[in-house]
Amino acid sequence: MTRYAITRLLGAIPLVLGVATVVFFVINLAPGDPSLHFVTPGMSGETIAQVRSNFGLDAPLHIRYLKWISSLATGELGYSFSHRRPVLSVIAASLPNTLLLSGLALVVAFGGGILLGTYQALRRTSWTDVGLNVALVTVYSIPAFWLGLMLILVFSVMARGAWDWPVWLPSSGMVSTDHEALSFPGRIGDHVAHLVLPVLTLAAGMMAAVARFMRAGVLEVLDQEHVRAARAKGLSERAVVLGHVMRNALIPVVTLLGLYLPVLFSGAVLVEYVFAWPGMGRVLVESIASRDYPLILAGSILFAVVVVIGNLLADLLYAVVDPRVRHG
Amino acid sequence: MRVVRVVAGTISLVAVLGLVACDSDTPSESSWVDPFCRDTRARVDSFMAVARDRTRGMEDARHGGTAVVAGLADLPGGMNGFIAGEVMTVQHHQFVNLMTLVAFDEELNPRPYLAESWDVSPDGTELTFHIRRDVVWHDGVPTDAHDVAFTYRRVTDPETGFPNPGFWRRYEKGEAGMEVLDDHTIRFRLQPHAEFLDPWRTLAIMPEHLLRDVAPADLGRHPFGSECPVGNGPFVFQEHSPLDRWVFTANPGFSPSLGGRPFLDRLIYRVVPDQETSLAALLTGGVDVYLKVRPDQIEQVSASPDLEPVVMDSRDFEFVGWNSRRPQLADPRVRHALTLGTDREAIVATLLEGYGRVAHTTVWPGHWAYEPGLVETPYDPAAAALLLEEAGWVDRDGDGVRENADGVRLSLGIRYPPGSVLRQSAGEIIQAQLARIGVEVGLRPTETAVLMEVVTNPGSRDFDGLMLTWANDFRLDDSDLLHSRNVDGDWGFAGIRSPALDRYLDTLQVVLDREEALPLWREYQRLQEEIHPYMFLYFPQRLAGANRRLHGVVMDARGELVSVRDWWIDPEMR
Repeated sequence: MTRYAITRLLGAIPLVLGVATVVFFVINLAPGDPSLHFVTPGMSGETIAQVRSNFGLDAPLHIRYLKWISSLATGELGYSFSHRRPVLSVIAASLPNTLLLSGLALVVAFGGGILLGTYQALRRTSWTDVGLNVALVTVYSIPAFWLGLMLILVFSVMARGAWDWPVWLPSSGMVSTDHEALSFPGRIGDHVAHLVLPVLTLAAGMMAAVARFMRAGVLEVLDQEHVRAARAKGLSERAVVLGHVMRNALIPVVTLLGLYLPVLFSGAVLVEYVFAWPGMGRVLVESIASRDYPLILAGSILFAVVVVIGNLLADLLYAVVDPRVRHG
Repeated sequence: MRVVRVVAGTISLVAVLGLVACDSDTPSESSWVDPFCRDTRARVDSFMAVARDRTRGMEDARHGGTAVVAGLADLPGGMNGFIAGEVMTVQHHQFVNLMTLVAFDEELNPRPYLAESWDVSPDGTELTFHIRRDVVWHDGVPTDAHDVAFTYRRVTDPETGFPNPGFWRRYEKGEAGMEVLDDHTIRFRLQPHAEFLDPWRTLAIMPEHLLRDVAPADLGRHPFGSECPVGNGPFVFQEHSPLDRWVFTANPGFSPSLGGRPFLDRLIYRVVPDQETSLAALLTGGVDVYLKVRPDQIEQVSASPDLEPVVMDSRDFEFVGWNSRRPQLADPRVRHALTLGTDREAIVATLLEGYGRVAHTTVWPGHWAYEPGLVETPYDPAAAALLLEEAGWVDRDGDGVRENADGVRLSLGIRYPPGSVLRQSAGEIIQAQLARIGVEVGLRPTETAVLMEVVTNPGSRDFDGLMLTWANDFRLDDSDLLHSRNVDGDWGFAGIRSPALDRYLDTLQVVLDREEALPLWREYQRLQEEIHPYMFLYFPQRLAGANRRLHGVVMDARGELVSVRDWWIDPEMR
């Protein structure tokens, strides 16, 4: 399986480079370039030309491409125009924040979704099932940014102001301003408090989707003969559900995991925006608006890698959940 | 089951590691730190430790606490005065981390800051600054005339790409333009002109001892600006995490003659990109000041007993710039009629909720030559219709849109940057109102980078109208926009060629005496009204909200942070 994973990863290198190359030319074909963002009233044409040459934007496209691809080979991602610091340091500052947010959202979405879906399937057509169905479809159709704003309104603004709840949650950022002054457990608590709303916002829609898939999966498996056989040989209901039903019902959900990994990254953009979370998604979107070529390219490479890893992870997990699949 | 355990285990491990990594003082970042930054940070830290010891016990009840200011975007270019031109960034240079030679008082008159005084030769061609002797850079090196000379040398060097080269239009540039008389005296040579001190209010003096060896063309990408700034102002740079926050701490050694150590222990500028979230953070005490309150949010700020709404005049104006190269727009009577046919009072009253003034010329309300009522184009659709008929635009085919004798339809497209609800609504109002006088308006939101190309590139000026905001400087000089020599320049999008206007634009800048200049300014404004280069919409007011625990907050046309050194927090509310 390790050999399979390595082969797949090596095979993905040309794919990632291809993506980056296409993005390089597309973004350079788009009108405007980074220097336009430094233009201020009164700046003369010569100054603009000077700024462009200071950033190496005056060279012909193919020369810039060769320069970029050769420095990429040495692991050099270049210099971000808009942040005025190396691309690597921008990513190093923001990527961990996004991983934290998306990682937790993934746990909540899949953990919650799997449990809810199974629970519903076992109580199919009961009032709880119907109620949960309605609730999940509603949650699924709410846009993330609106949900985020509503959560802020309820758990932050109203909770603190109008209703005067004893506990309310911070509306934005990763830590409080007095974070450094807190004790170690206090600091962890501060982190968690800041994570609750963004993680919920990011996870909600996905959790609803996972629950729907899981419910359908469990229902299908429940009717199969091996389940009847398991019951017939006297296994407890718990053992039947955990060992025979859920494991088989997880197969479609695993596909979802592979598909959702990149979605988590792009979905994080809006959530990061609403909650002022200094993550990679915001960095990427703002880099596109400011035509920050090196940062856009680094971001696309990163994104392509996430997609590759997501697919690989799903394929590997198939082998774990489905004994018929073997990766030599 | 194994799968569930493996997945859950891996993910929670990642999450826990993430939490711990975020909490430790970003160790991951230290490995990217530039050697330049490692050295300077170490020197600043050790000098500040000594300075803090020296001033310990000199604080009063007002000292202490952290104030958090929320803005919508990071500070582009950071504390690098050579390249930064964005308004909030420049305010951090002026009032927080760096110093300018001159500051302005409430009446916008120059007052000493880094320069303790200045003299002007009788013929107005020599300007001498005497630099304060008690200002040191945050690493302990004194600030003196050589820093000023270094800064001037670099900003007048085209290689640097300084964003406001217009500052020096009437200064002699480079080495020939200045002379260091002694360590604390420097003289500049210039042609006599009005408001000649203005550049020195904005231009932050930069440290020569740190940046002397950096080639001018490399200054823009030097780590100094956003990774390890060393200033000499009231606040010392502590930390910057991109798209998140800038942290500054009080400078205990700040010049006592300028008030000494600021009252706040720390000042944090936080990036909160969403305006709803910003408001929520202000309402819940997560931030003390929210800088970009929207007109429709001010009511909520006023309603909270903890918050103080702040209304400021701004130097910006919103306008639709017409392309006079187009056959429909070449006649000033048509441009005049378009303004007559638009109810701008209604736009201010509804969209800005009254927080703004209808604009009639480029002269902004805080400018000394501004006179309300001097020139005014009222809302008068009947007069507009008459004027259009007089100019030969009549609806000949009965389709509701006027044509001229050649059959050209009076149909105009207005381009503007997307994303602003305010601008979109203003566009819709203009569209509906002009339709009533037989003018067809199409609204064309255009992506910012593309729009900038249309605005600044003389070869791609494919537009009828541009709805934009223009940020005036204190010294008002519209030459870039309206002088005929700049018609094919970067900002001459209106394409106006008027020798009369040129004469005023040239003269206004060189008449030093305000009394002598006032009649000229009046004539100039009347002429703008006559030529109608743009449809001026309004001067917006800037709105902010501040927590009442914060005292000493003054915000006016000079900026939101002008009094930041004097901000202090109620001791029981820290």
